[in-house]
Amino acid sequence: MALWSTILADLTAGASPSAWSELILTVLLTPAVALAAVTLTHRKRPAEIITVASVVLVVLQTFGLVAGVISKGQFSALGGFLYLDAFGALVLIPIAGVGFVAALYSVSYMGRQYERGVVDDRHIVRYYQGFNCFVLTMLLVPLANNMGLMWVAIEATTLVSVFMIMLYTNQGPMEAAWKYLIVATVGLSLALLGIVLFTYSNTAVSPSAVASGSGMDWTSMSADAKLLDPGIVKIAFVFVLVGLGTKAGLAPMHTWLPDAHGEAPTPVSALLSGVLLNCAIYGVLRFYIVASGTLGAALPSELMIILGLLSMGIAAASIFFQKDMKRMLAYSSVEHMGIVSLAVGFGGFIGLFAAMLHIVNHAVAKPLMFFASGTVSQRYETKVMTEIKGVVKTMPVTGAFLLVGGLAIAGMPPFNIFLSEFLVLTSGFGTGQFLAGSLMILLLVVVFAGFLRHLVPMVFGSPKGPGRAVTADSRPGEDGAGKLAILPMAILVALVIVLGFYIPQPLQTLIRDAVQVFGQGAPP
Amino acid sequence: MQVPLSEVLTLSSVALLVSTFGVVVRRGFAGWLSAYRYQSVVLAGSTAVIAYATGLWEIYAAAILTLVVKAIVIPRLLVRVTESVKDEFKIEANPYVSIRLSLLISALLVALSYGVIHETLISANLDVYALTYLPVSVSLFFIGLFVMVSRRMALNQVVGLLIIENGLFLFTTALTQGVSLIIEVGILADILVGVMISALLLLRMSQTFDSFDMVSLESLKDD
Repeated sequence: MALWSTILADLTAGASPSAWSELILTVLLTPAVALAAVTLTHRKRPAEIITVASVVLVVLQTFGLVAGVISKGQFSALGGFLYLDAFGALVLIPIAGVGFVAALYSVSYMGRQYERGVVDDRHIVRYYQGFNCFVLTMLLVPLANNMGLMWVAIEATTLVSVFMIMLYTNQGPMEAAWKYLIVATVGLSLALLGIVLFTYSNTAVSPSAVASGSGMDWTSMSADAKLLDPGIVKIAFVFVLVGLGTKAGLAPMHTWLPDAHGEAPTPVSALLSGVLLNCAIYGVLRFYIVASGTLGAALPSELMIILGLLSMGIAAASIFFQKDMKRMLAYSSVEHMGIVSLAVGFGGFIGLFAAMLHIVNHAVAKPLMFFASGTVSQRYETKVMTEIKGVVKTMPVTGAFLLVGGLAIAGMPPFNIFLSEFLVLTSGFGTGQFLAGSLMILLLVVVFAGFLRHLVPMVFGSPKGPGRAVTADSRPGEDGAGKLAILPMAILVALVIVLGFYIPQPLQTLIRDAVQVFGQGAPP
Repeated sequence: MQVPLSEVLTLSSVALLVSTFGVVVRRGFAGWLSAYRYQSVVLAGSTAVIAYATGLWEIYAAAILTLVVKAIVIPRLLVRVTESVKDEFKIEANPYVSIRLSLLISALLVALSYGVIHETLISANLDVYALTYLPVSVSLFFIGLFVMVSRRMALNQVVGLLIIENGLFLFTTALTQGVSLIIEVGILADILVGVMISALLLLRMSQTFDSFDMVSLESLKDD
């Protein structure tokens, strides 16, 4: 631990505040430059190299920004238009991290689709253009201080991801893209209505916000939270919760999610589930902070608990009876966003700590599952789980990864998801929410049973069906997944296991600081 | 000749509502588009009125942008993309809710909007623009939503979405005298790209599917 503090101190000692502001700008510029470069070169190989290089740079700069937040607290750029604090930094980490592994996996996955003739050069270039654009718009979400800008960024993520789902021109993806575009845009319109109401109530009480034009800034809203008109804030928060909740996949507004996550190219599904949902729930929580400052925590927390339990309930039933592997994972994302919402609703230091940790843990485990299932369904040429048997025999490495990922995502100890789910339960019972806590245990058991029911035959069943398991490019017992598919999965498996035992000191500090942003509950 | 401000406000509100009812009563795509174009022109005018009253150049700029993007660019784009689509996919022959009933429901939604605004924002100190335009903007929002759920054609959902966006724009401008121009530009850019993507999707769907009927868009489900 002492080592880390020394490194952090060394890293941050020489840097002036303006250096951090510049870093905020360069981290946004990196994918933008990569997008331009991919467009200019317009060929498969350079596009892959540029994209991987771009996400590596984003990861490095994110480390810098996180170190800065830990030592300095918060900083802003462009005259307060952009802003980063511990909560933002916590959401930044999965964007950069999952962006990195998804870029590596893309090279393998899209490369294989290319070899099979599913996509051509034009599609590949379009894919990497979309990928860089997607990373750019997601990075903008936690870096925006102006909530209007955050809205623009979230709406832009919808458009870019619809564009990427449309890469395949079959009936399924197009139907999913259409539903996603329409439902998410209507949801976000509601959210904008809420954001405008927040802005209005802020400018009504704060002449300085009007004068400086900062009425839409989160820093200004949260500073004035106690003065805002409670009647307006109540309506505004409901609008934002329903609107951004749609994008975050909270039930009952989740209807687009299983289609979109199920039909997207697998690396994009990983980004949608592991990162984009976090960005949306991040937006909800920013306004949760303001609303609970105005109204007190009781009403907003109750709403979060109700939506959280509803999401878990719908997801649990759908997971149990699911046949399509990717749709099962999509419903599992609904479940985990429900858990985050529930944890915030339980509140207190432990609840918020658990919510933050769960965001990170889910962002590690879900991409792993999408990558493993994508590799498996490329080999078996189906997403239907009853037709996939004995993965551990046909693909030993990927099969093991699928098993670890599946057990982790279902909440089995000693993996990372178990740790944060346990903390959520602790906070629930600790704050006296016995009914909600008991319901959560019940639903977790259903999800666990549902996952095992599908996972065990897939992993351990005996491989059947002539030609299914043995395709031209691979023999039984040889994994067949390329190195570039194995590497990102191996990184994620390592994280799933390590984070189950121990949370590294800098991450712990960051989460503690992020909980402080919520302004409730002192550390025990 | 001096035209009293309150009459300008009332007239423009009526014009906005009439154009929205135009979308509700018509069955054809061309009819919807012309009603939308008309609505966007009136919206730009209303924005200019607010700009004139507040004296903010940013709102003038927003009015001009609205006129250019919503009254010219978006309708042209939609017409061009749907040129190759057969007429039978553009006409709402058999909506879920009949036209007559739709009209009645829309009228009720307008009444509801006036009620909602007067109930909820009664405590706030609203100026005359906000008092006039907010109920209208909420009406546009509700009617847009209603158009989206009550019709079968996928094209209708785009039109409903555009009406919702117009309502949002009016709401924002009337309540906060416009958020900063750069955000307005961002929102407009999002709408423009969104329309382009949905148009592209429609074009591809018209080649793949037999119709734009929402019933044909229900193959993805859990079974």
